[in-house]
Amino acid sequence: MSAAPMQKPAAQTAPVTGARLVVEALDHFGVEIVFGYPGGAIMPVYDAITGARFKHILVRHEQGAAFAADAYARVTGKPGVCMATSGPGATNLITGIANAMLDSVPLIAITGNVASPLMGTDAFQEIDILGCTLPIVKHSWIVRDPADIPAVFAEAFHVATSGRPGPVLIDLPKDVQVGAVAAPGSPYPLNEPARRVDPAQLRRAESAIGAAQRPLLYIGGGVRIGAATEQVRAFARATGIPAVATLQGLGVLPNDWPGFLGMLGMHGMRAANEAVQQCDLLIVAGARFDDRATGKLAEFAPHARVIHIDVDAAEIGKLRDAHIPIAGDLKTVLTQLNPRRPAIDDWRAQCIEASARHAFRYDAPGEGVYAPALLKELSEKAGDAFVAACDVGQHQMWAAQHCRFAAPEAHLTSGGLGAMGYGLPAGLGAKLARPDAHVVTITGDGSFAMNIQELATLRRYGVALKIVLLDNSTLGLVRQWQELFFDRNFSEIDLSDNPDFAAVAQAFGIEAFRISRREDVSAGIERLLAAPGPCLAHVIIDPMENVWPLVPPGKSNSEMMHGD
Amino acid sequence: MTNTILIHIDHAEGSLQRLIGLIERRGFHIERMTINDAGAGREVRVSVRPRDASRCADLLGRQIDRLIGARRIAPAAAASSVHVEEAVPCPA
Ligand SMILES: Cc1ncc(C[n+]2csc(CCOP(=O)(O)OP(=O)(O)O)c2C)c(N)n1
Repeated sequence: MSAAPMQKPAAQTAPVTGARLVVEALDHFGVEIVFGYPGGAIMPVYDAITGARFKHILVRHEQGAAFAADAYARVTGKPGVCMATSGPGATNLITGIANAMLDSVPLIAITGNVASPLMGTDAFQEIDILGCTLPIVKHSWIVRDPADIPAVFAEAFHVATSGRPGPVLIDLPKDVQVGAVAAPGSPYPLNEPARRVDPAQLRRAESAIGAAQRPLLYIGGGVRIGAATEQVRAFARATGIPAVATLQGLGVLPNDWPGFLGMLGMHGMRAANEAVQQCDLLIVAGARFDDRATGKLAEFAPHARVIHIDVDAAEIGKLRDAHIPIAGDLKTVLTQLNPRRPAIDDWRAQCIEASARHAFRYDAPGEGVYAPALLKELSEKAGDAFVAACDVGQHQMWAAQHCRFAAPEAHLTSGGLGAMGYGLPAGLGAKLARPDAHVVTITGDGSFAMNIQELATLRRYGVALKIVLLDNSTLGLVRQWQELFFDRNFSEIDLSDNPDFAAVAQAFGIEAFRISRREDVSAGIERLLAAPGPCLAHVIIDPMENVWPLVPPGKSNSEMMHGD
Repeated sequence: MTNTILIHIDHAEGSLQRLIGLIERRGFHIERMTINDAGAGREVRVSVRPRDASRCADLLGRQIDRLIGARRIAPAAAASSVHVEEAVPCPA
């Protein structure tokens, strides 16, 4: 059953159904796991998957399927696949597709639809899912002829993974799934000419770097996506240029890398933001000047010339003009970029000194659990095998600030969309992709409730995901903004009537325990990491704890607030 | 302020919606548009006006280039600046 069905379709004698061709296509492209949920309009495919080589994971909500597939893709670099029925099944995928779009994740979303003659008649569970998702996919198809299935899947896998990756959607009307094909059409020829990097821009970049007095490397999520971590490390080592990273660029340089100043932006490190404000040359590798990173754009890096390297030419100059634009694959560009080492000893020393001076402290007063210290210890105890699947809120920012990440694949976070509910299904997808790793979902009491049903999926498949639930009885990040920017008018953020989350987890058949005192943290982390199956630590923290430092929204990164 | 762009799109379902949606979402008003069948696809000539001064037609062209099944014919994709009747500065 190797590649035969795709490459020699004509050799097949017995007619096959469209549904069978879908399964064969997924097998052909080496899909290991499909996350999905059945329903009327996708039943023919569900009927055909009983003979599939891939494994199907039945989630408990389609949003969980999309998020799990997204995390699977981030961890493995291979496309994640999710599947749903028409109508509500398809619309439940939408947040997950948007998440993959904004974070450039290769995701293949497959939806059933009503039969072609019924499309456009407001039939039961008919939704124009192609139309609904147009702004949030890299590309999409409605298959009209079952014979086109091999070609559409070939193109879909190619589009999702090539260049700047992203989500694609394949909508399959029911008649196309049941239709029989004698000889399916041959796949698209997919020979994309390799784009050449402009050598003139490379030479200009080299001389700008060689002559810079205060150069800074600005590392984004494109480094993980382009699998260019080694090349970035080699470049930073060879040039000695200090570096900052975006939320998605964390882990490219290890936390203890000399000259790595940490995350920049709204909740970034002071030394990182200061370095950006002072630098005279910004070398941007796979980043897109997101407003969470830049603060007030007009005042961002005011003295810097910009070298912008990105595989997506439409990112270059989108928000900040690039003096030296380099459109191309990061790995290729960095391999061909060989500047002489600039004479920047003083600048480098100044950056490293500032980084040490503004380093985080973990000696917060009190008896209660201090979440930043817990997260730091958790990541250090889990070591190089640590993979964090974060939710959205204060806990997400603390994880970014305080955890140690050995690689960018170790930090899964909904950066572009900021979608609460990502953490649990993302942990599920990541742990299935990397059973050997210490995969830990870091979540808050608000976020956790958004996809809590996936505890059942962990239980069913025995997925040994670990969950750290930081419970501050509030929508913490919103509460913090209300405290700081809305005159302490605390509106609709109270969650003090939360259920007993440990009891909830136990009801799902999952081991769970509670940590409420600082002195219990170390033993709790050890218990969590040692648990053979899925396990949840319900951690009680102070509702008034804030994330520091912080750049107020709309302000320049030079105007950081530091709290107490 | 008006820029005219000529694009070849395929016949696939959604390709026209995709193009129009992109132009509007990226901050341009469509002033005129003509669509002509052109063998294996359709040729779309569209005149657009930026909604505010921060919108850059050159960037819009590169965003159109990202569409699958669409090919920008004029201004040529390789050129660094698009044909503009009145220059629209990119944000500094
Ligand atoms: C789906 C969704 N709805 C709303 C928001 C807005 N939002 C951002 S953070 C946050 C609070 C998160 O609370 P919790 O998960 O308890 O985390 P904490 O901030 O307390 O650590 C909210 C409501 C969001 N990002 N995503």
